[in-house]
Parts: sequence; C-alpha cells; structure tokens
Amino acid sequence: MRNKSVLAEAEDIQRAVEMIRLGARMQMLESETRLSRERLLKLYKEVRGVSPPKGMLPFSTDWFITWQPNVHSSLFMSFYRFMKDTAQLPDLDAILKAFRLYLDHIEAEDMEEVLSLTRAWTLVRFFDADLLQQATCTCCGGNYVAHAYDPTHEYVCGLCNMPSRAGKGRRSRRIATDRNALV
Amino acid sequence: MKSADVQEEIRELNLAYLMLAQQLVREDREIAMFRLGIGADVADLISGLTTAQIVRLSSQQMMLCRVRFDDSALLGMLTGEGRDAATASLHAAIIAAGRPVETLA
Repeated sequence: MRNKSVLAEAEDIQRAVEMIRLGARMQMLESETRLSRERLLKLYKEVRGVSPPKGMLPFSTDWFITWQPNVHSSLFMSFYRFMKDTAQLPDLDAILKAFRLYLDHIEAEDMEEVLSLTRAWTLVRFFDADLLQQATCTCCGGNYVAHAYDPTHEYVCGLCNMPSRAGKGRRSRRIATDRNALV
Repeated sequence: MKSADVQEEIRELNLAYLMLAQQLVREDREIAMFRLGIGADVADLISGLTTAQIVRLSSQQMMLCRVRFDDSALLGMLTGEGRDAATASLHAAIIAAGRPVETLA
C-alpha cells in the first residue's frame, strides 16, 4: 500500500517513532501505520540501533490471567478505559497514553515493567475480539481482566485474595533488600 | 493559626493548584484529565483561564480542589496499609482509575 499524502506519511512516521521508543514490535507497527515494511525496518534500526526481534507474537490469553501480569494488565486496562470513555480518544492514542500512565506508575513505585507496549496492544485486541472481559471484584469494586464468558458474579480479584506466595519471587526480594539498604 | 494566615495559605494553595492544573492540561490534555480527575469540560475551562482570572479565582475564601477519594478502603490503600506498599498502590490505582471524574453540572 502506498501513501498518497506526504503529510499523512509524516504523521505515520512520527507515530511509528513514538511506538518504537515505547517498545513496539514490527507486527504492531505494521498494523497501526500505513508505512511499508521496508521503511518500518529502516526506521526501527535507526531509532533502536538494532534489528527488530523476529518471530510470532504471544497469542495466548492465559498470560493475562496469571497473578502478576493480571494486576499489571488490569491497571493498564483501567487507564485505557479512562482514555477511551472519559477522554474519548481513538484506539491507538488511548493505548499510547494509557501505556505512558502505566510506565509513570511503574517508575514511581520502582517496580519492574511487566507489560510491554506490544502486550498492551495485544490485550486491547483480545478485548475487541471478545476473548477477554473486565470483571468487577465483589470485594473492592475494581475492574480486572478476566476470560470472556467466565462467570463473574462471585469474582474476587487477585489483590483482595492474594495467593500466599504472590509477589515474593527471588527478584522482588532483591528489590526489597535494596530498599531496606537505602533506609 | 490566625484567620488571616489561613486565608493566605488557602490563597497560595489555590494559586499553585490552578497554575499546575493549567500547565498539565496545556501539556497533555487527556493525561491531565486523568491525573486531576476532571472531565473534558472542566479541562477546557481551566486551560482557557487568563492569568487575571486565575488570580481572582484563587483569592476565594474556600479551597478550589477537594478530597477526591472519599472512601475509607481506598484511602487505607493509598496510605499504604496492606501486605506491601507496592501492591497496595497498584490496587489503589486500579480502583481509583475506575472512579467518575468531576464534571460541570
């Protein structure tokens, strides 16, 4: 597909650069811009200095249901819903702004980034395809990512009912000791 | 605290709030709407205020911003009760993001 308008192409390039900086993979760039694959590859190499990762995107919805990814994707999804419903942004802008807010939150709390931009984009596509839905926790009232068509009337989220070893991996312990050392 | 001091403090806080809010909205309208908890109409109103209007508005006797999270469970999480601070803040953010925003009636 060739671009007719130079202006539209310039906009697409700017968009693509922003997405590449935030960590988008080729599949996302190809589907969200009208630039050719060759141009995107060149752009990617220029921005990042390396070739884009190859291979397929993760395609399972189960990842979003496991404890830590679920918390992070639920956070992203609530930002995304705000951007869609309250701020009434189009899909891609809503994803990018919600992801910025997510990164700010992660940075402020000194946590590691669990959700990448491409994952976040996949998450929204899963929602659009009715593979996932938002379930309201009966305990705290927040909205969480859940499988579509799962019963939700007695749903309790992973934060109200934390599994006993959740968030206690080797990595988080190291972060905790680092924090204590600073105090 | 003397009443003249209170008025002065409120005026200063109002001024700081309005100036920050306007700066945020002008930088990135949608992200500012989220951070400030305001709707599109309030955001447009704030971004359109002139300096004179901001000064006049902030010298009111009352606070212009109000407590946004009037919910004890949420306040507990925001102040860091729970198993650890990081998950409590995530939990609070998820719940807070779903709250309705301030709009003009």
